Amino acid sequence: MLARLISKWPYLIMAVLLIVLILLPFDWFPGKYTTLMIFIGISTMVTVGLCLLMGYTGQVSLGQAAFFGCGAYISGVFSKYYSVNPWLAMLIAAAVTGVFAYVIGYPILRLRGNYLALATLAIGVIVWIILRNEGPGGPDGFSGIPALSIGGFAFDTSFKRYFLVWGFCLATLFISQNIVRSRSGRALRAIHGSEAAAESIGINVAQFKVKIFVLSAVYASLAGSLFAHHLRHISPQTFDAMASVKLVVMAVIGGLASVWGAIFGAGTTRLLSDEILVRYHVLSGWDIPIYGLILVLVMIFMPQGLFVALRSASYWLRYNWRELPSITKGIYERKVLRLRSGGVQS
Amino acid sequence: MSGTILETRGLTKAFGGLVALNDVDISVEAGKITAIIGPNGAGKTTFFNTIAGAYRPTSGDIIFNGETMKRTPWYAKAIPPRLRQKIFAERLQQYIPAHRRTTLGIARTFQNVLLFGSMTALENIMAGQHPRSRYGFFSAALKLPRARREEERISLNAMKYLNMVGLGTYAGQNALSLPLGQQKLLAIARALATEPQLLLLDEPGAGLNTLEKRELSELIHRIKELGTSIILVEHDMPLVMGIAEWIIVLDSGRKIAEGTASQIQKDERVIAAYLGEETD
Amino acid sequence: MKKGEAWASPFLSESDFLSCSMSADQFLQYLLAGLSQGSVYALVGLGFTIIYAVTRIINFAQGEFVMLGGMLSFTLGVSAGLPLAVAAILSIVITAIIGAIMYLLAIRTAKRASVISLIIITIGASIFIRGIAGTKEMWGVDAVRPLPFTGSESIGILGAYIQPQVLWVIGAAVLVTVLLQLFLTRTVVGKALKACAVNPQAAVLVGINIKTMALIAFILAAALGGIGGVVMAPWTMMSYHSGFMIGLKGFVAASIGGFKSPIATVIGGILIGVVENMVVGINYGPFTSQYMDVWGLVVLLAILLIRSGRLASEEA
Repeated sequence: MLARLISKWPYLIMAVLLIVLILLPFDWFPGKYTTLMIFIGISTMVTVGLCLLMGYTGQVSLGQAAFFGCGAYISGVFSKYYSVNPWLAMLIAAAVTGVFAYVIGYPILRLRGNYLALATLAIGVIVWIILRNEGPGGPDGFSGIPALSIGGFAFDTSFKRYFLVWGFCLATLFISQNIVRSRSGRALRAIHGSEAAAESIGINVAQFKVKIFVLSAVYASLAGSLFAHHLRHISPQTFDAMASVKLVVMAVIGGLASVWGAIFGAGTTRLLSDEILVRYHVLSGWDIPIYGLILVLVMIFMPQGLFVALRSASYWLRYNWRELPSITKGIYERKVLRLRSGGVQS
Repeated sequence: MSGTILETRGLTKAFGGLVALNDVDISVEAGKITAIIGPNGAGKTTFFNTIAGAYRPTSGDIIFNGETMKRTPWYAKAIPPRLRQKIFAERLQQYIPAHRRTTLGIARTFQNVLLFGSMTALENIMAGQHPRSRYGFFSAALKLPRARREEERISLNAMKYLNMVGLGTYAGQNALSLPLGQQKLLAIARALATEPQLLLLDEPGAGLNTLEKRELSELIHRIKELGTSIILVEHDMPLVMGIAEWIIVLDSGRKIAEGTASQIQKDERVIAAYLGEETD
Repeated sequence: MKKGEAWASPFLSESDFLSCSMSADQFLQYLLAGLSQGSVYALVGLGFTIIYAVTRIINFAQGEFVMLGGMLSFTLGVSAGLPLAVAAILSIVITAIIGAIMYLLAIRTAKRASVISLIIITIGASIFIRGIAGTKEMWGVDAVRPLPFTGSESIGILGAYIQPQVLWVIGAAVLVTVLLQLFLTRTVVGKALKACAVNPQAAVLVGINIKTMALIAFILAAALGGIGGVVMAPWTMMSYHSGFMIGLKGFVAASIGGFKSPIATVIGGILIGVVENMVVGINYGPFTSQYMDVWGLVVLLAILLIRSGRLASEEA
């Protein structure tokens, strides 16, 4: 019976993680991680969209932060300056961003590989510049954005917002998982496999690419709105090209074709940048070059993402752990022998 | 089934200065197995690609099941036909795109197979059911009952086609892990899953051994018995002569002969075109 | 460009030109500035083109080579006090070496990576280089200005007043372009590079070592970037993040050239530079200095879309 339980270990792990997730904001764990987890949740939402876009249709987007910024700014402006209900503002932001993505999607997604990356980068920078110049407060941004609330219950503390954000985040993940396992998910994987073959079985490739692009934009917009209503202050610096690249890092580390890997990717990246480097002042100022280095190393050695690589490593370990001592001994003998005999193989 | 399932009138395809298809007129009878042969470079694959929708014809018309593949773009519909013809000359003529033709009933296979590498054999076939199923992102995202029902239907159908080509036991294996011969069968099954009226097979026999080619012939006959019309491009003469009911010969982009197998074998122009070229 | 940071205007005074009309000598001033800025973009664009032609990789780190050239020439020329020519040449050489190292460590080890992987690798490398340059141990966040080649007193040309460094930039670009053309057409190595660009498989068959050619391409591109940085920095100053925008504009230039024609690339670069500076000069509506960068990017998008439109018309 115990064996049966252990064999379903993915579900066990998920259950444990879920419990941890729920207990976390109660500060039962040492250190206050609520704010960090809120940011991880928000980043995960954007990352999932990016994973779907990059992993399944192979379209690189270096401008995702622009959609994030659009969501944040539109939601913030409407709810602050026009006294629109924050929920409605969020919906408006998502709709506008979606339409924007749709309009630029068709022409842009005809481009392949490198050119698409550059085009999305360019659009991201253009949107950033426009927001920076025309948004209220200019380069400094603005504050005073109201928090979200249902009826009289306002999400005014980090504790409450934690559950709000993670509610959205988990919903996004479930929806994405459902899409991946469906006919549309098959169509996406078909496009990734061979666009010509996908066309030959009746898949309108161009339309699908745009649909996923719009979906990822809407995810990013919702995340941006949540961000704005959480922080209650936004500034354009948060949505620059570097932010877009960080999102790509998260997607890559999490594994491009994996939905749940997005949490992992967002989590580790945020942990690295926000916690370790900033809080503990380890090598401060060096966080940017370390990003770059991680990016390069991950793409060279683990192009399928850290998640998948670790999983393969864990499988290997599970089957071969008994032989570990002899394997280590074998490597040791080979290396030591090599050194001792002056580099000549015996 | 009777009648003409496919017709081309003055079909021309040029790549810059190179004219791959030159004023080709063809008529394919429904329910029959038609073969297109010709020496290398004759334009056979270009012909397939143009009919399937991968290439846009330089001029000429394709008529499938009595319907033309030409279409007017949405922004030109308001202009009266005569004026429209003047403005949107041949060069701007739009044709129905490939995916739409599949929905209408034309399916094809590729010379280099092109299976979907990240999916199992069964999933490849299920993907082929795409034009015959109807639930979208919304139903999928929320796992509505409609989605679940469709998925059931799709996997049952897919299994049926997989069994038809004899690959039922490989359903759960990754598509690319199969040997080439079986990959080609899988590709045919995937095309069948789109429930086509017309199936275009691009060099289905390439890379197969004698036994596999015999199985392929039997499969093609079975497909014909289902009522599907078949056009195939092939280099293997014994294979073609064995199954084709009608043969069309192309050379340098033009149709030079057509007829039954015995007629073609005796046709002087055909012999001249091949100049004793050995196949196989 | 963050608020509060110094942005050295290429012109003597930025506040004079507030109306949307320009006088003749203002026009000339902006034109020359545009030609100069455009020359740097052209050099960067040539670097992109060379690497892409030989290796089919788009090197996102190209702009960083410009930054390195400028920063190094400051450190060597001002902080270390080396004579100008030595500092300049040394900066270019070091930048070229960094380019080689980047190729060997990041690209060659990736072997047969996919397009997405290579894109992200070069992005990672560019972030790495930029980040290191920005740490306190290196140059930090301040902008630096190396010594101008022939002094900083503005000279008058047909009524326009410009810094002499502007002419140095244009001159260097012209010289480099000419030398590059000669290299590519007259020397064996140059022709080997072109062979790789045209048909890599055939090049291998004729005995050309593609990996070595790729290395040379990277070294060349880095050197071109370095030269751009060395001549540009005394005029517009340079800081650790300047490379990004310059790289982006250089990419626009390269795409105008279709990633194969050096002449079109140079024309493209100059076009972008002139458009940008004209926008600043007009200073009206959306054509202001705040939106300067946007217009170059708009040109980029326009070109990409026009090109893809022409390709797409092959299919139905």
